[in-house]
Amino acid sequence: MPLFVRSATYLHILILLLLYAYLTTSWNLVGGFAGVLPLGHAAFVGIGAYTSTVLSLQYGVSPWVGMIVGGFLSTLVGVLIGLPTFKMRGAYFALATIAFAEGLRVMVENIDRLGPFLLNGPRGLQIPPLELGFGRFMFAEKEPYYYIILAMLVLAVGITWVVSRSKLGYCLAAGGEEPEAAQSLGINVARVKLVAMAISSFLTSLAGTFWAQFTLYIHPKSVMSLDISFEIAFIALIGGRGSIAGPLLGALLLRPVSDFSRIHFGDTLPGLHLVIFGGVLILVMLYQPRGLQEPLTRLYRRAMARWAGMRERG
Amino acid sequence: MIYLLEDAINGILMGSIYGLAALGLTLIFGVLKVINFAHGSLLMVGMYAAYWAVLLTGAHPYLALVIVLPLMFAFGYLLQAVVIQPIFKAEREVREPITVIIVTTGVWYILDNLALLVFGPQYRNIQDNPLRGKMIEAGEMLISVPKLWGFCAALVTAALVWLFLQKTRMGRAVRATSLDRDAASLQGINPYRIYNIAFGLGTAVAGVAGVALVPFYNVFPTVGVLFDIKCFIIVVLGGLGSIGGALLGGMIIGVIESVGPQFMTATWTEAIVYGLFLGFLFLRPSGLFGVKYDW
Repeated sequence: MPLFVRSATYLHILILLLLYAYLTTSWNLVGGFAGVLPLGHAAFVGIGAYTSTVLSLQYGVSPWVGMIVGGFLSTLVGVLIGLPTFKMRGAYFALATIAFAEGLRVMVENIDRLGPFLLNGPRGLQIPPLELGFGRFMFAEKEPYYYIILAMLVLAVGITWVVSRSKLGYCLAAGGEEPEAAQSLGINVARVKLVAMAISSFLTSLAGTFWAQFTLYIHPKSVMSLDISFEIAFIALIGGRGSIAGPLLGALLLRPVSDFSRIHFGDTLPGLHLVIFGGVLILVMLYQPRGLQEPLTRLYRRAMARWAGMRERG
Repeated sequence: MIYLLEDAINGILMGSIYGLAALGLTLIFGVLKVINFAHGSLLMVGMYAAYWAVLLTGAHPYLALVIVLPLMFAFGYLLQAVVIQPIFKAEREVREPITVIIVTTGVWYILDNLALLVFGPQYRNIQDNPLRGKMIEAGEMLISVPKLWGFCAALVTAALVWLFLQKTRMGRAVRATSLDRDAASLQGINPYRIYNIAFGLGTAVAGVAGVALVPFYNVFPTVGVLFDIKCFIIVVLGGLGSIGGALLGGMIIGVIESVGPQFMTATWTEAIVYGLFLGFLFLRPSGLFGVKYDW
């Protein structure tokens, strides 16, 4: 996808759109395919952002390396949360993920120094833009960020595509829809969910590093707030969880609503976009529980069939 | 030492109000088997209702209950009948439809942000009310009067709810539905009506908590979020669906919050509460008084 936007504001909005499409695609691996409802993915964003930032500020490690380290750290944490909770009923998993993410945020807000690592508590960390360049993951313009997040999104969608067509994907779908039936077929439901959680938390964490390098300033409220976790889940649920197109469609529809309502009504009608989100979410859940991608996919299939028919008739 | 005791007593009093807020949540869970994520927002609605009732009529803060209680019951009843019921009907064979969590989260976002749109972000409190900042001296200790009344309200409400469930015909129908929806409907009970009533009741209890809080607590659009997560923690701690567990869980949280700052930075107590919650989730998910079968 070539860059067609010139204005810096629109480019910023576009980057955020892609970032949320990426986050939601990563969430979808566990929230969509595994049929559970994680509501604490901001924890992984935070782990990613803090790991790469601390490593680069204090030890001069390239954020690219920090990104991968943060990814593995998040994977470890994700598996640790999933291990006891995947055996419980759905609501418990949702509550445990919320509690974990909020607990982690509160801890980071209270810790100035974690052993040798400076976290700076609620004040957060600022990344001084001293060395620009690809190796330092820091650029004067927004364009490089756009291409990086686009590449990350393509990668995440690719991974989702591969997973959804692999044995893991089928096991996940079976375990999500009918856990008892899947178990009786010899699928270790808790284990496949753990694998999905591991991939998902790894990918989500990478977005944290991207966010830190894009804004050059992180603090617990900006990278680990409950709002991030909920917005990711909302986008996936409205777009259609468990499908590849759903998260992309959801981000495409919802992100502009939130950005433009913040730009135009931010001072007069605060919170308007969240009222809209909530309303749309309820309507979608009541009338189109598989998300907005379903009717669109049906429309697309019908159009393709008609087109194929027209071609046959000459 | 005397300060520690004073903090512990005030913690128990405040904690019982948390327990009162969580009582509605545990009641709804006990019957519908779903977690109402909008519960904190319902509490927020109750607090605004109490606030405006007191401000406009100039009556004693606790008299607001006359208006708030039926209002909140009707609100909860309608919310369940209009928004949540269709999901139960669509997913008839699912015992705990997770979709309800999602829909109630939508309700949470709508209510909180509507409150922000309508009332603005400012913190409101009733300036001239007879209970504000009132203390009684017991020896060298100071005990907050509105919190003491809140404690009484929590005990009375819990007792009334328990009596309703155990002693009335309707209460028996509610318990039957909570045990087995299909078997109850075979006995001629309309489970959806029971769900409406249970939801209305839970919301009304949140209204009682709102009335108890308004004389000494600030009202603002996101006040619900503060209580939402606290309520989740309390009900898991006490055991989902248990009335006594909700009160006890609330008191535990209240004591940690008020005694903790004697030993550490106040903000750390919040981290301890989350840690306790996760510990319970992992080691004893049925909570203090929960039924093992449910989890």
